[in-house]
Amino acid sequence: MTATALQTKFHPVLEGTLQLEVTNVSAQTDSITSITFGDPLGELLPSYVPGSHLVVQYGTGANAYSLTGAGNAPREYAISVLRVEDGAGGSLAMHALSVGDRVQVSRPRSAFAPAATAKHHLLIAAGIGITPVLSHARYAAEWGASASLIYVHRPGTGAHVQDARDLLGSGLTECTDRGSFQEVLTRKLTTQRLGTHLYVCGPADFMDSVLEQARDLGWPKGLLHSEAFSAAALDDGQPFAVNLARSGITVEVPAGVSLLETLENAGLSIPNMCRKGICGECAVPVLRGVPQHRDLYLTDQEKADNTTMMCCVSRSLDPELELDL
Amino acid sequence: MRAASQSPATVTGCEPGFRGVICVSFGAANTLADHDAGGMPRQDFRFASANPEALANLRSVLERSCVGVRLVLAGPPADVHAAASAVAECGLVDEEITLLCDEVGPRVIFCGHCHASTTTDHPIGTDVDCRGCATTLTFTDHFSRRVGGYLGFSAHAEEAA
Ligand code: FES
Ligand SMILES: [Zn+2]
Repeated sequence: MTATALQTKFHPVLEGTLQLEVTNVSAQTDSITSITFGDPLGELLPSYVPGSHLVVQYGTGANAYSLTGAGNAPREYAISVLRVEDGAGGSLAMHALSVGDRVQVSRPRSAFAPAATAKHHLLIAAGIGITPVLSHARYAAEWGASASLIYVHRPGTGAHVQDARDLLGSGLTECTDRGSFQEVLTRKLTTQRLGTHLYVCGPADFMDSVLEQARDLGWPKGLLHSEAFSAAALDDGQPFAVNLARSGITVEVPAGVSLLETLENAGLSIPNMCRKGICGECAVPVLRGVPQHRDLYLTDQEKADNTTMMCCVSRSLDPELELDL
Repeated sequence: MRAASQSPATVTGCEPGFRGVICVSFGAANTLADHDAGGMPRQDFRFASANPEALANLRSVLERSCVGVRLVLAGPPADVHAAASAVAECGLVDEEITLLCDEVGPRVIFCGHCHASTTTDHPIGTDVDCRGCATTLTFTDHFSRRVGGYLGFSAHAEEAA
């Protein structure tokens, strides 16, 4: 982090990006650490919708982390990070942070918001998936909304267990093994009052199983919300061509090479940060053709519009795409 | 003549935690007699019209039901849409509700200018005079669940502007 950045609130390169200071680091469990970021000048940070995430830059990479606060006029942004030894390095970089360090973060992004019309919020979390759900629980407690939580964690390894107990009281059901969770889940899925929305966060297979069971029990799609906190491993995909309308050239994107890499190799400079479909920096305008959207950033509606794609991960369903580049 | 299911005794007959199909018909004809509930358990309710008492009964049925339920509303468009608007307040989403409107029957037109509701027998695409501000309104099939009616706008809006 540069010395001149002391004066500026926003990163000079990436507009809308915040430069924040680590204000606290505390161990939640042996492998989960909570980190809070604040404005170096002590100003309030932009508010956020419960369930939002922050993209935090580290070295040349970036990762998305759920904010655990309620989001209204926050003085700090708090995240909790599980250390992943064989990950891409983001979690290790986060765990190496100490108070006073400077970090570049995105503005909070919302992709897991509570439904305004919900009569009740049924929150379901496994492991580190507690983080966005805790944000929902705090928000519900703050605004007097009805909420309950099923939290699956192994004894002694759960983060924010005491927070969850304080916030939800008897609305919290803790499960420490899959068997008891299954029993609780079936009972909860069949006894929720109309107007209940379900929010699930945890490992991909856990979320898939919860959502599938909910659908089987008659839950409409409009009541189901899930937050994937890691980009799934993507396959190489099929080769395709892109026609760059403004440059007047066509380039081939081979299988296993991203569109972003191909564009960079062709001499274009495309803004990017995470290079895994999370941050939204690498959006490119699509003029023709149907992209194969593989990012976690665009909303379903934006994906259906097919006018923008995240070139770091997304590819093409058509043999050729035309881009406004 | 009032439908038997309007009595509180019948309403409480819907077991708590019901997750099947709730079939509600308004008006004289029992439109839903042959409705296929897809093998799910069903509960039938018949009301003369979507009056406040009927809507209160319907809401209390829904309050005792659980997610997984499907609601079918059938009868004259004005009744069906009044009921759809009332149940939207219970938090039901579109996927949970099926609206089966009789082809003919009164519709409610919601004035986009003065927000008064006007009931009409006119078919979609025709004009009607607003009961509130007397503006000649044109309405299309744009039905708003929020206001429980079809949205009507001045038929001569372009000329006025
Ligand atoms: S670089 Fe982050 S979404 Fe593509
Ligand atoms: Zn009017």
